Amino acid sequence: MKWQQWAIPVSGVPVLALLAWGLTRDARIVPSPLPGKPAPDFALATISGDSLHLASLQGQVVLVNFWASWCLACRAEHQVLVDAAKRYRDRGLRVVGVVYEDSRDNALAWIKERGGDWPNVLDVGSRTAIQYGLFGVPETFFVGRDGRIIYKQIGPLDTGVIDQWVPRLLGTDGPTAPADTFAEGRSAGHVRLSPDFPTAGGTVRRP
Amino acid sequence: MWLRQPLVVALAWLSFAATASPAQTPLDTGGAPRDARFEATVAEVASSLRCPVCQNNSVEDSPSLLAQDMKKEIRQRLAAGETPDQVRSYFVSRYGEWVLTKPRAAGVNLSVWLLPILALLGGALVVWTAVRRWVRRSASPRPATETAPAADSGDLRARRAALQASLLDLEAEFAAGRLDARDLAALTERDQAELAAVNDALKQLKKDTHAVAPAAPQTATSNPMGVWLGRLGWVAGLAAFALVLVLSLRGSVAARSEGGTITGGTQVASAAPVEMELQQTGPLDSLRIAQLESRVLRDSTDVPALIELGHLYLAQGLLDKATLVDTLAIRLQPDAPATAEAFAHLGMILWSLGQTDGALKALDKALYLSPEFPEALLYRGIIFFAGLQDMRAAAQTFEHYLAVAPPDANTARVRAMLMAARQAASGQQKQ
Repeated sequence: MKWQQWAIPVSGVPVLALLAWGLTRDARIVPSPLPGKPAPDFALATISGDSLHLASLQGQVVLVNFWASWCLACRAEHQVLVDAAKRYRDRGLRVVGVVYEDSRDNALAWIKERGGDWPNVLDVGSRTAIQYGLFGVPETFFVGRDGRIIYKQIGPLDTGVIDQWVPRLLGTDGPTAPADTFAEGRSAGHVRLSPDFPTAGGTVRRP
Repeated sequence: MWLRQPLVVALAWLSFAATASPAQTPLDTGGAPRDARFEATVAEVASSLRCPVCQNNSVEDSPSLLAQDMKKEIRQRLAAGETPDQVRSYFVSRYGEWVLTKPRAAGVNLSVWLLPILALLGGALVVWTAVRRWVRRSASPRPATETAPAADSGDLRARRAALQASLLDLEAEFAAGRLDARDLAALTERDQAELAAVNDALKQLKKDTHAVAPAAPQTATSNPMGVWLGRLGWVAGLAAFALVLVLSLRGSVAARSEGGTITGGTQVASAAPVEMELQQTGPLDSLRIAQLESRVLRDSTDVPALIELGHLYLAQGLLDKATLVDTLAIRLQPDAPATAEAFAHLGMILWSLGQTDGALKALDKALYLSPEFPEALLYRGIIFFAGLQDMRAAAQTFEHYLAVAPPDANTARVRAMLMAARQAASGQQKQ
């Protein structure tokens, strides 16, 4: 009958282990199902009045970059993109911007001020954002020559991330890298702000 | 066989639980969707999906732009004839299972459903064995009181020997003719009955010593230290367990205060969206606005009314009107402490228009008039944090705000921004 003495403390062990595991995880890190899958196609109007069909870029390495003019982290990131587009243009890198929850005028003013000669499409109604499982801006999807998403960056890009992935993608001609290299990454400590912020806070009156 | 009864109870409980849980609402996709029913299905699907840009809010409950777009997408897909499950699957294929507010009952997730049942069965087993032991102990025949008040096996054995000797004595007395046959029979019967009782008691004692060795009284007297240490260990272990539970669950179990966060105000360093929710504005506000407007029309120098109007206009997003009344108030009483609020409003409006410098000037003026005006501190902190990205100044200002502002709906969010600012500040220093 000795087992009863041990049953209660022993059954507590998995409970404590579960608590220890669950309480030390960052619940905000959500793995995306998209890396490794074909990039969702879209045909949308660009801010300059043309239209762009993603499938027409099949066979090239494409960075699909979601951004907005109200997004602070996108400011720092934009310069990285301008620089990357310049450095890798000759080797065939294409950049496509997707404007998220923002107006055409804001986006035009942004590009005029900060540069960038790649097409930017307007995602009215966020259908494309939802198709890409977007959590916020900025997020960037690295699409290989075979049209599959190889890497997803959550948060602003930096040169290190660009130089880690782009040469690898450009170097591969046929079906891209083996499945275990599909990945997503997150930049540290960036703060996303919603477009309504901060006026939506209203003010508080205290007696 | 001993397991049968609790099992039956558990199964009965389970079948009850199964019938009590609501069945999935079926949707007939054929034919024109009846409006109310269709909308109910849209709402049902929307509340089963998480809003990606919120903190633990469903698409149905979130006012954010993306959630509204997601709801549109849900409506379109349902209208196109997809079933609710197909719509959910679409979102899962984009966002992962994370997007479901209720995880699917399959794979590892099943443990969420099965573990409570296992725990229930385990608990039932423990209770059943404990009860069985108690019942057996109390039902065991007690030795006759006058013969063996002590349950000590030494006493019992001595008594047994005495009884056996007494039986032999009776035989001898009878043989010697000092006892008649009737007395012999009566006395022998008495002694034999007691002997049987003593034997039973001895047997029971032997069983019990095997079963619950440490609980037997002789151990208690022979080694009280060990027993007390054991009990102390149990108490300490249970207390530690309870402490872990209370500390880790306190935040999440507490009822959420109005405007509070899911973490119950626990400080979390958050890289997640910092959103200020719209303050509730309702018919009462409109009523108050009408009252104040008529007051101002009668007396255009009524500064308190102008400032309160500014507050209400802002809450409703009427920036132009707010600017007008606040500017009027400032012109009337440029240096009164109460005007600090009008300056704070202006600072907020300027910031929202992208005029960072002007906004900071207005807020500084507000703080000059009223050095601890909470809203001026809050928006100054926000400008440092989100606009100028001066994280040290932001952290200082938020600290000041938290020190002077009474806790309210914004407190948790300001704390989150403060943590993020501190983190970013230490990051900036490292670089």
